[in-house]
Amino acid sequence: MTTPDSPEPVADASATSGKPERRIGVYICHCGGNISDYVDVEAVREALKDEPGVVVSESPVFACSDGTQHDMIDDIRGRNLDGLVVASCSPKLHQVTFRNVAKRADLNQYAYTQVNVREQDSWAHPHDRSGATEKAIGLVRAGVAKTRLSDPLEPLVVQTVPRALVVGGGITGLRAAIGLADVGIQAVVVERAATLGGWVGTFGATFPDDASGAEEVAGLVEEIRKRRDITTYTGAELTGKSGSFGNYTVELTLHRDGSDKVLSLEVGSIIVATGFDAYSPDDGEFGYGIDGVVTLPEFKAMVDAAPSGGLTWRGRQVRSIAYVYCVGSRQEAGGNEYCSKYCCTATIHASLQVGTVDPSIRQYHLYRDIRAYGRNELLYNASREAGSTYVKFADDQPPSVAALPTGGLAVTVTDLLTESRELTIGVDLVVLVTGMVPRDPSRLVEVLKLPVGSDGFFNEIHPKLRPVETVVDGVMIAGCCQSPRTVGESVSAGLAAVAQSAALLKKGFAELEPLVARVNPEKCTGSGECLSSCPYDAITSIEWEGRSIASVDPATCKGCGGCVPVCGRDAIDLLGYTDAQMRAAIEEMVATERPKEPVA
Amino acid sequence: MTATVDPHLITDLQKFGAADINACFSCGNCTAICPLADSDAMFPRKLIRLAQVGLTDDLVSSKELWTCYGCGVCTTRCPQQADPGEFMGTARRYAIAHYDKSGIARVLYTRPVIGSAIAIGAAAFFALFFAAVRGEQSRDTLALFDFIPYSVIHTTGIVLMVVVALFSLLGVGLLARDIARRDQVTWSALFGSRQAWGRTLRAAWYALGIESLGQKRYREDCHDDEPVEPLYRRRWLIHALTLWGFLGLLLATTLDYGMDLLGIKATGTPVPIWYPVRLLGTVAGLALMYGVTWFMIRRWQETRQCNDSSKPSDWLFLVLLWVAGLTGFVIEAALYAEPVPGWGYWVFLLHVAIAMELVLFLPFTKFAHVMYRPVSLFFYGLVKDAQRTAA
Repeated sequence: MTTPDSPEPVADASATSGKPERRIGVYICHCGGNISDYVDVEAVREALKDEPGVVVSESPVFACSDGTQHDMIDDIRGRNLDGLVVASCSPKLHQVTFRNVAKRADLNQYAYTQVNVREQDSWAHPHDRSGATEKAIGLVRAGVAKTRLSDPLEPLVVQTVPRALVVGGGITGLRAAIGLADVGIQAVVVERAATLGGWVGTFGATFPDDASGAEEVAGLVEEIRKRRDITTYTGAELTGKSGSFGNYTVELTLHRDGSDKVLSLEVGSIIVATGFDAYSPDDGEFGYGIDGVVTLPEFKAMVDAAPSGGLTWRGRQVRSIAYVYCVGSRQEAGGNEYCSKYCCTATIHASLQVGTVDPSIRQYHLYRDIRAYGRNELLYNASREAGSTYVKFADDQPPSVAALPTGGLAVTVTDLLTESRELTIGVDLVVLVTGMVPRDPSRLVEVLKLPVGSDGFFNEIHPKLRPVETVVDGVMIAGCCQSPRTVGESVSAGLAAVAQSAALLKKGFAELEPLVARVNPEKCTGSGECLSSCPYDAITSIEWEGRSIASVDPATCKGCGGCVPVCGRDAIDLLGYTDAQMRAAIEEMVATERPKEPVA
Repeated sequence: MTATVDPHLITDLQKFGAADINACFSCGNCTAICPLADSDAMFPRKLIRLAQVGLTDDLVSSKELWTCYGCGVCTTRCPQQADPGEFMGTARRYAIAHYDKSGIARVLYTRPVIGSAIAIGAAAFFALFFAAVRGEQSRDTLALFDFIPYSVIHTTGIVLMVVVALFSLLGVGLLARDIARRDQVTWSALFGSRQAWGRTLRAAWYALGIESLGQKRYREDCHDDEPVEPLYRRRWLIHALTLWGFLGLLLATTLDYGMDLLGIKATGTPVPIWYPVRLLGTVAGLALMYGVTWFMIRRWQETRQCNDSSKPSDWLFLVLLWVAGLTGFVIEAALYAEPVPGWGYWVFLLHVAIAMELVLFLPFTKFAHVMYRPVSLFFYGLVKDAQRTAA
């Protein structure tokens, strides 16, 4: 369970000023020449060395180097420092590095301040050395001023529940549930449909290994049945979430025989694997609506069900097929601009399947670019060698499909590979290679506060380094709800979410940044203005000494500071970035606009 | 103008060869490396594409088809092992079959058993026919035309030539019409003015003189052969000796016949080796035998990748030429042998039968290239000429 600190008064600036003088070390980094080529680093060091509270002022060539880190640790210990300022690059790059330096020297890591004099100074003003130097002095003084008023903070520790909720019972969710059980985390799978399996559960042979999707899903379901650590709910939805990271209370609504049952569960993390919808072409889009024009999922079901010896459409033998690629993907600005990634290979694979059903069927692939990447290239080669003809059309010259009066369909396309000639291909079936579109995210956005990208898919924090985490702690996304991808890639993401869940839940507790908002109950009048300002629902109204005041749950608070300016009474402060600290910093910067002493 | 594709072209064409062509993904390396492809004749990629997509008319009436000499560099450089060189050969077989409206060429190329039966059957028919009408075998001199009457050979030859000419002219006419339509060459553009006549004659000289007799592009093409062949077995020389040998024999035969008409020398009369017509025939025969023998050796050895899937019909043409040449020399020996050998008559019978078959099969075998290639080169020459004029 969370252990939010009880509300207590925050020491204000006047109280800090009564403390003994701080002992701060300031390090101005050359960053090779990245900074020192444009900023007179020595002048900055000189300007800072006599600042009140500054005990050490150095200018290392690389502050992040091992040697300098050791020197810093020696300084902190030997000179008894209680504050650390490094003026170097963006905190995004090295804040953690220097916080760790402080930790190793037994200095509270929140007594460290990083000042960015590279991205925000030397790189921005390469043609104004004296101006850049002046700006650096102001920035570092501001950093020192902020550090002077810093209070030691400790990470928030929250207890976590060893159970995860998996939203979505497709192949990604099912495999993730097994992965969770394998590492000793209970899994609860909630699936909206009446059966488990999602898209893959409906497929016959799938690329790259020709294994049946339905059989693979059946294998997973079988495996899940054997495990007591996994509970599955079908015909069910996630309809509510409360609590904070590590201790979410989720509300599941089970649709049962016309009546709904609501179930409440405690979970430590949530993995969202809700998948995708198939693009549904507009009427008339590439002839959609004409008899014999089908989408990729419709075609796949047809091929999976086809008996050996012949493919039929509405009782008629299919002798030839045209595939029109990129339908609903890679559209112009405003449409689905992304590539759906799986459809080239899925189509090529299905066309190879057609070849085994009836090798005499003539197949034309009308494409913009074939993106059968990685080993899928081999399927593309196999399909060409089996006699499929690939016809490349330009983005601005899409093919058209028309019904022939004699029956059958005519596809007209300008083939870039045949001297850009317009070809008319008579076929029995046209397959629109439809891509993926995001499912309506509104319900989950409402319940989980998940961020949605401009394309409608859920957004992870970082596409490479944090590929399954979201800005909501403990809520992860995996699979096609993130972006179009293949089965293998979706399952990989699901297992990444399992690993991430294990990292969060297996210790039994989690440490959170203490840089959160805190209410001063003496000042708070309980106006309630801040309550609606919080995007994370971290602020609640509580009773304190007989009156109602606001209270911030530190485990839920993200430290965004949105509530701070809303309060008319200045009753809320953001730890690590208190009003007093920010004011002192600004005052230093304003004062530095006219140099206290001439700059060399 | 939209072109309607034929879904069956590629599968139909593959009955003639080009087993690997589906691997082609239109990268164009073959065209880039081809020593003979230029801005007026883009191949092989373009032609492969026509076949893949199914534009039959465009493919069979491509003059590019006949500007290729089958060096096979494209095949060695193909990243997909699609064997474009073999494709070009296959497309020519397909074009020959397409313009042969009797359907015999198609059977010879695609039905090896029936094709062989036809070839053997035709030879047997001619042999039996001449055997049936044979006369006496003189032991005094090798009186070949007493054995098989001269008039019978003459009449049979004329009949065959009429039949062959009908099929050949039909095929050549259709090809010429198709190329002319594509290139928008009209009658008046060919013969409408003095300049037009000039262009036409220059193109004809280019096609027949420079290329067919002179083998100019073939010679250049061979520069890129890898490894470099010694002169005596360079492809162009083998081909040129075969061609010159054939033409030389044709000329010698015609002269012999002419002299007979003029009463200078009766056909079949023994003459000394230095006698001009005999000398011409002997030298030409040797050249032909040299060339054809090499052709057969190379086809047998499958030395070049693009040449390693010969069809029985390809062999048929070479075998007929070779047997005709060999029997010719054996007859020559028999003519001067003492005493008169009885087998000389039978070899002569075989020679005549094979020669008849060779003539008969002209429009249906690889032999047909002697008419299609010059026609294509004529139109290619026209384009080149127009460019020079424009430049």
